[in-house]
Amino acid sequence: MHKSIDTIRKRVYHVEILPPKQDSEKLEADLELFEQKYRRIMENGYCACITDNAMGLLAFQGSELIEELNLPVNSDQIMIHLNTFHTKDNLDNILNFCRQAGIESLLIITGDGSDRLPKLTPSNLGETDIESVTSVELLKYIHRRYPGVFSLGVAFNPYEPQQQEFAKMERKLMAGASFIVTQPLIEKNHVVDLLIETYPLIPVTIEAWMSKKLHLLSDAVGYSIPEDAQFDPIENLKQLHRVYPECGFYLSLLGFKTQFDMIQEIWNDEKVNAFPREAK
Amino acid sequence: MKIVVCVNQVPATNDAKIDPETKRIIREKTKAILNPFDTYAIEEAVQLKKKFGGEIIALSMGPEKAEHCLREAISVGVDRAILLSDPAFGGSDTWATSNILAHAILKIGKVDLVICGKQAIDGDTAQVGPGIASHLHWQQATQVVCVNEFITGRLIVDRMHENGLDRCALDLPAVITVVKGINIPRVPTLKGCLASKKADIPIWKHADLTISFDEIGLNGSPTRVVKTEPPVPRPSLTVKIAGTPEDCIKQLKAELIRRKQFALKSR
Repeated sequence: MHKSIDTIRKRVYHVEILPPKQDSEKLEADLELFEQKYRRIMENGYCACITDNAMGLLAFQGSELIEELNLPVNSDQIMIHLNTFHTKDNLDNILNFCRQAGIESLLIITGDGSDRLPKLTPSNLGETDIESVTSVELLKYIHRRYPGVFSLGVAFNPYEPQQQEFAKMERKLMAGASFIVTQPLIEKNHVVDLLIETYPLIPVTIEAWMSKKLHLLSDAVGYSIPEDAQFDPIENLKQLHRVYPECGFYLSLLGFKTQFDMIQEIWNDEKVNAFPREAK
Repeated sequence: MKIVVCVNQVPATNDAKIDPETKRIIREKTKAILNPFDTYAIEEAVQLKKKFGGEIIALSMGPEKAEHCLREAISVGVDRAILLSDPAFGGSDTWATSNILAHAILKIGKVDLVICGKQAIDGDTAQVGPGIASHLHWQQATQVVCVNEFITGRLIVDRMHENGLDRCALDLPAVITVVKGINIPRVPTLKGCLASKKADIPIWKHADLTISFDEIGLNGSPTRVVKTEPPVPRPSLTVKIAGTPEDCIKQLKAELIRRKQFALKSR
């Protein structure tokens, strides 16, 4: 078994970090900040999750950041997002780098495009009977090209029409997905409950929204959350621990100045954890 | 092959401010980006260099902050860049601008091919590429969608127009302007971005070019912008069809027949 899937099974916190944007006017400072965050995640024993042009905004790739900044790679402490908006050469370069560097865990998503991002074509991935590439084709390609090398995860959106989302999940699992990460939850969600019940052997990681910016959360979940709604991300994380004790957590937009130290307390707090973990 | 790519910095969005007196864009108050059409010109140059070897030089005329778009060009594979920046160049129209660029291309020397984006998204004139060719007395092809062949001294390209494609043979040196779709511009790598920040970009001023003051700036510009106004909105062609599936089919059929008749009458 991959070490990275063990990390998911042990429900180690997955902490998202956003790479510097391509149009950054203070690139050096942004790189320094990225490095600090990455190393802090490593030192605390969490798993660093690096996004891939999130929301279609052009940013540097996790693989090139690790290479250029010479960051340490512990295979059980890193997850790279990989979407379908790449050239074939670029995709292969990323996958080859990950294999060589020992990065096992990839979160495969269809992703958000933009005018500046190229999209993989079916012929790029050796597909002939489809019109466009989704995460399913990307999963198949990676498994075919790099058998046994990677542990591949997929996204689950409980806010999409349920029947279609479960049908999609079935295709993703058939294509070789071995773990699932949900869209952000702010309370117990019956569709996610059904997901856990339907696939008891597949580890499900719950995304917890750690920002107070509710308009961004509205964009992510696809329905409008009133801006004046009461939302405390730390309390929400504790609540999610209570209702999903069997799941790990993916922390998006975590504040490194104030929240980072607080999650350690939650991690160790047996009161909120039905299944206390070994303290780091 | 020595290729010059002409690039332009343009306002990032459509909300660019216009000076009511001069009718020109107030560039200081607007975020600037590399003209999107120029990214295709850069990519085509990089791909040609990869196939045939040589050197790519990016050239831009504008204020000193236009250096940023030249660094972006370097980050994706351009070898070096030159910025043409001088208050004397200010106020140049497309004729004067292409004249200044043409003089810079002559100064660079032994250039085989000049590639431009088909137009800049701020002025939308599509005149600078053809203007450069006219000033240099070189052959040109505009709206190029494919570079088919490069044989010593000759380039075979497909150019797009309303009724299809023309296949053209150009004797080099030549100028081409390229359209969106000719390639997929690469995204800069981190390594490329970091290298581009260290690149030395010389600034050429009026004194560096053999061009008189009468040929540049407002003096060298035969055109004047006398008025700007938004285009007349186009009537919406979208019709919302509602009702039962049977009703929708009837309405859709009627609408298609109406439009077909309209289209026939319009011919």
